[in-house]
Amino acid sequence: MNESSSYVRHFNWGKLGVISVPYFWFVMLALIPILIVLKISMSEMELTSVSNMVDWSNGWPTVKLNFSSYLFIGGDALYIKTYLSSIKYAFITTLLCLAIGYPFAYFMARSPKHLQPMLLMLIMLPFWTSFLLRIYAWKTLLVSNGVINNILISLHIIDTPLLMMNNSFSLIIGMVYSYLPFMILPLYANLSKLDMRYLEAAADLGTSPFKAFWLITVPLSKAGIIAGSMLVFIPAVGEYVIPELLGGPSTLMIGRVLWDEFFSNNDWPMASAVAVVMILLILVPMAILNKYQAEQAGSKS
Amino acid sequence: MATAPNDEKQSAPKEVLLRVDSLSKIYDGAVKAVDDVSLTVNRGEIFGLLGGSGCGKSTLLRMLAGFETPTKGKIFLEGQDITNLPPHQRPINMMFQSYALFPHLSVWENIAFGLKRDGMPKDEIAERVDKMLSLVQLGKYPKRKPHQLSGGQQQRVALARSLAKRPKLLLLDEPLGALDKKLRETTQLELVNIIEEVGVTCVLVTHDQEEAMTMASRIAVMSEGYFLQVGFPEEVYEIPNSRQVADFIGNVNMFEGVIDEDEPDHVTVNCEDCIQYVGHGISCSPGQLVSVAIRPEKILLSQTKPDDKYNWVEGEIIEIVYFGANSTYHLKLTSGKVIKVQEINTTRELTCWRTWGAKAYAHWNDMAMIVLTQ
Repeated sequence: MNESSSYVRHFNWGKLGVISVPYFWFVMLALIPILIVLKISMSEMELTSVSNMVDWSNGWPTVKLNFSSYLFIGGDALYIKTYLSSIKYAFITTLLCLAIGYPFAYFMARSPKHLQPMLLMLIMLPFWTSFLLRIYAWKTLLVSNGVINNILISLHIIDTPLLMMNNSFSLIIGMVYSYLPFMILPLYANLSKLDMRYLEAAADLGTSPFKAFWLITVPLSKAGIIAGSMLVFIPAVGEYVIPELLGGPSTLMIGRVLWDEFFSNNDWPMASAVAVVMILLILVPMAILNKYQAEQAGSKS
Repeated sequence: MATAPNDEKQSAPKEVLLRVDSLSKIYDGAVKAVDDVSLTVNRGEIFGLLGGSGCGKSTLLRMLAGFETPTKGKIFLEGQDITNLPPHQRPINMMFQSYALFPHLSVWENIAFGLKRDGMPKDEIAERVDKMLSLVQLGKYPKRKPHQLSGGQQQRVALARSLAKRPKLLLLDEPLGALDKKLRETTQLELVNIIEEVGVTCVLVTHDQEEAMTMASRIAVMSEGYFLQVGFPEEVYEIPNSRQVADFIGNVNMFEGVIDEDEPDHVTVNCEDCIQYVGHGISCSPGQLVSVAIRPEKILLSQTKPDDKYNWVEGEIIEIVYFGANSTYHLKLTSGKVIKVQEINTTRELTCWRTWGAKAYAHWNDMAMIVLTQ
C-alpha cells in the first residue's frame, strides 16, 4: 500500500512538472510580453522612455491609465481603414492559399506512398533560401522591366509593360507564395489520414467521384482547412516585410503602420495600442471559433 | 446449425440473379488473388463466401461491388453485363466491414445518403428512411452521429443504409466481425430475419464458419483464389470433397490408410491404428491411398473394449477441453496419433471416469466417416 501510494505521489509530481513546462513557456514568452505591451499602450511617451503606470509620489500608489492612443486610433479613419485593408488582404491570401493548397495537398496525399516524402521535401525546399531573397526575386520578376514583362514584350504579346509591381497584385502574389506551405502541410496531414472506405461507401451508394469529393472529402477535412486557414490568416494580418517590399502606397497594412509608429514617430504607446487592437481583432474571432468547435467536440463525446 | 433445405426451396423455380464467369484478378502480373472463379447466385439466396484471410474472398466481393476491375472474366446481373460499370452505377449495395458510416452525418442522413443521390423526392426519402429506421429498430436515434452509437447499433445503421436503395444484390463484408461473441449470435438471426423480410439476394463474405453456416443458404469454400467446394452448409460439413475442406470446416480426425476390400456395399481401409469399415460403396480401387475423416462428435468414448472388429481405437486421455455444454477429449493412441472426441455433458456429475490419464476406447459406426481421395 505504502509503496503504491508513494509511487502515485511521485507520479503526480512528475506529471505536474511536465505540464508546467508549456505553461511556464507560455507565461514567460507570451502572456508577460503581451501584458507589457498592454501596459505601454496605456502609458505616456516621455523623452526617452514611457512613463511609469504606478506613481508613489504622495505615499499612495496612483495608477494612471492613459487611453489617448486608443481614442486616437478609434477617431482616425486611416487606422480603421488600415485594419480593414489588412484583414482584407489576409482574407484574400487565405482563400487563394486554400484554392491552390487544397488540390495540391489532395494529390500529394493520393500519390504513391514512396513519392510522398519527396513531395513533402519539395514543399519545404523554399525555406532553405532566405525569405528576403525569395521576396526580392519576385520583385525582379514583376517590375516593369522585369523578367515577365520582357518576355511578354519580346514575344509581341503586349506592347507596354504590365503594371504588376507595388500594387495589390504583387502584394497578394508574395503573400500567397510565402504562406502556401503553411496551408498545404496541415491539409496534407489531414487528407492523408482520410479513410478511403468512406469514398467507396459513397460510390457504392450511387455518388459520382466528383460529388463524393464535395460530400465526403471536404467535410471530413474540415479540421485541416481550419488549421491551415488559421496558420495563414493570423500571420498574414500582421505581415510587414511583404507589403514593405512588394506592396505600394495603395496597399495599406497594419504591419507598416506599426513600424512607422515605433521607428519613425518613436511613439511607443501608440505603436503598442495599434498592436493590442490587432491582437484583439484576430483573437476575438478565433476565440469564438474555438468555443464553437469545443462545443461541437463536447456534443460528440 | 442451418435448417435443412426443404423441398419447397428445392422445387421452386430458381431464377439466376448473379452470374460470374471465370473471373480472375491478378495483381502485378503474378499474384492470383482470384483465380478463374465461376458461380451463380439465385434470387432470394444468401450465398456465403467462406475462407481464411488472403483467400481472395474480399477481392471477389470488391469486384462484384465494382471497386476492383477484374483482370479476366465477366459479371452478369439479371443477364446484364456489369463487369465494366463503375460502382456508383451498379444496383448493388454493400455493407462494409466495420461499416464505414459517414462520421460527419447523422444516422438519418447516413441512411438517406444514397436516396438523395438518386434525386428521390424529399417526402419519399423521409418515408423510406423512417421505414428503414423502424426495420432495424433505431427509430429513437435518427439525429445521433455514428460514434454516439454502440457497435450493434452502428451495424444496424450500416444495414439500413445498404438496404435503403432496395438494391438487387446486397454484399455483406464480414457483417458481424466487429461485434463480440454474445452479440454476434443474436445479431446473426436478426440480420437473416431482416434480409428475408426485405427479400434481398445476398453475397456474404466471412472467415467465420459458424457465421456462414447459420446465415448462408449456400456456401462456397475458398482457398488461394478458387472455390474448393460449393454446396449447402450441411453438404459442406458432412460431405466435404477434399481434405482441405474437411479440415477447414469444423474439427476433423484424419486417418490415412490403404483401401483393402472394395465392394459395392462396403469398403475397408487399413489404417495404422485400426481397420475402418465403411458401410457404403465408394469409387476407388484396392491399394489406393485415402484419408478417412471422422468428426469428433461422431465418436463415442467408452471404458470397455467395444465388441467389434472394426472402427475402434484404444488410447489414453491426455487433454480435456471443457466447454460447458460439451467437452472435447484428446485421446493419444498407441501409435502416438492424437484424436479428438467430443461428448455432450448430459449429466451434472463433476467427476467421471474420463479423466486425465484414463484409458479409453473410442468407437464409431460404419456411416460416421467420409473417405477422401483428394
